[in-house]
Amino acid sequence: MSSKSGRGVARRRSFLRPTGYAWILPALVFCVGLLYYSVGYTGYISTLDWNGTAPDPTHVGSANYGRAFADPVFWEAIQHTVISFVVTFTISTILGFVFAALLHSRPFFGGVYKVVLFVPVVLAPAIMAPVFRQIFANDGQFNWLLDHLGLGALAQPWLAQSGTALGVILAITIWGGTGVTFILYFAAMGQIDPELLEAAELDGAGNIRRLVSIIWPNVRGTTIALATLSAIGALKTFDIPYLVTTGGPNFATEFLGTLIYRMSIPLGAVGYGAALSILLLLIALVFAILLNARRDKGEGRNDA
Amino acid sequence: MLEARRRSSRIVLQIILTLLVIPFLLPLIAMVQGSLAGQGWGNYVAVLSVPELPLFFRNSAIIAVATIVFVYVLTMGAAFGFAKLHVRGKAFYFWLLIAALTLPEVVLLTPLFATMTSLNLYNTYWAVILPLTALQLPFTVLLARNFMEGIPDEIIEAARIDGANTFQGFWYIVLPLTRPIAAAIIVFTLLGAWNDYLLPLVFLVDPTTQTITQLPQFFVGQFSNDQTKVLASAVITALPEIIAYLCLQRLFERGLSAGALK
Repeated sequence: MSSKSGRGVARRRSFLRPTGYAWILPALVFCVGLLYYSVGYTGYISTLDWNGTAPDPTHVGSANYGRAFADPVFWEAIQHTVISFVVTFTISTILGFVFAALLHSRPFFGGVYKVVLFVPVVLAPAIMAPVFRQIFANDGQFNWLLDHLGLGALAQPWLAQSGTALGVILAITIWGGTGVTFILYFAAMGQIDPELLEAAELDGAGNIRRLVSIIWPNVRGTTIALATLSAIGALKTFDIPYLVTTGGPNFATEFLGTLIYRMSIPLGAVGYGAALSILLLLIALVFAILLNARRDKGEGRNDA
Repeated sequence: MLEARRRSSRIVLQIILTLLVIPFLLPLIAMVQGSLAGQGWGNYVAVLSVPELPLFFRNSAIIAVATIVFVYVLTMGAAFGFAKLHVRGKAFYFWLLIAALTLPEVVLLTPLFATMTSLNLYNTYWAVILPLTALQLPFTVLLARNFMEGIPDEIIEAARIDGANTFQGFWYIVLPLTRPIAAAIIVFTLLGAWNDYLLPLVFLVDPTTQTITQLPQFFVGQFSNDQTKVLASAVITALPEIIAYLCLQRLFERGLSAGALK
């Protein structure tokens, strides 16, 4: 680790950086030892036909991967992941951007609005899941609200139908994620030169015009950061669909996370679950590489 | 940001803001309202009188604190090494760490299950603390390294000329300067550990080790699916999180924005 540099004058005068292996080693051992070991292990299991407990499982080569590509639920899960990314990113971005602009305009009780937006970020999805199950149940508060708004005709069992369940899952994700989007845009907008806005105002630009032509381009870095965060979030989706709809009805809210969990633990198709895990990892890795490529270009840090 | 000089336009902005924020408030209202249905406050009395309840909070607290300590110590050391010390093949090691940034925890389940069982760690706090720490590290190291790279080398070199060794330079010069990013790391790790659901679900089996995210399911069993009591338990578990956020509001908000931007 650290050499006693008081020992020699030459060493003390040296401006060469001391070596740092000992400093990075513990974190590396932790990460490589636990994560890479697990990934390697998963890769091995993915070539087995194994229920998780049998003493000597059969080697099946790439059969589990073939099964994944032929499994319509796998493709549905990927489709839901893409939909989830596009929808939650778009809506959260618009909402977060508008909230940030509105709260920068010194409204009354701004602090209260901020708290309401941010509390959902802090609460565990696992804690809120039963609440949302209740709200969107057939006799839940959402249908009650529709009824009292004169929209009773729209009331339906939201979570029990394939057509509406995914929408509810996405709404819950947006509810829990917009606070982060808002806080990031709020910080980014604080960095915009006020003179820029004043100049635009002198030129006669209205509120909408300023939002679109000045504020939006100036927070572009934040928008890119949010896009990558959303993509990673979509790939990691598990808690909300598992706890609110358990991936159903009829796989309508199945994500890669819920599919892998169901295969690996309750159904005991451990080999198949491992193959799905490796496929998920490959997708995640492509994202990681894209993310790093962008960072290396030096675009990642020019935002607020 | 938006210009609203006249009273009427200020009111319009206020109304738009209020209408937009209502959907975010409604689930919280529905939670409280649902928890008071049926027996009213009796639901809370019933939930609070369940003897296992404090155990879940204790377990969550132990796991969160231990994870934060591990993540903080390992992150600061590694970030210092990556940002300020000489390591051959540094880029490769860093890449190795960062590649795990997008790793979903669900892919670790089977190997961890086998490993934890053979190490007799199944149903102990370690089965959750160790993977949680490993999963947090790529992100926190990235954050801390970026921050430490902003600290001028001259300060550390000056300390070395004055006879400080590497560790002293780290301890007395670098560490005190990293407080803002340390706050971000702690908030992130706290939320990640406290709110984690999947790892406790798989690796912890009874109330002596389970965390608060398992409470709703525990109460579904406890009160044979009495929804009002499950909601009362949700309110009781949500309250400490909301109170912690309200007390440390700036820390949470700054921590999360620092985290997402780097």
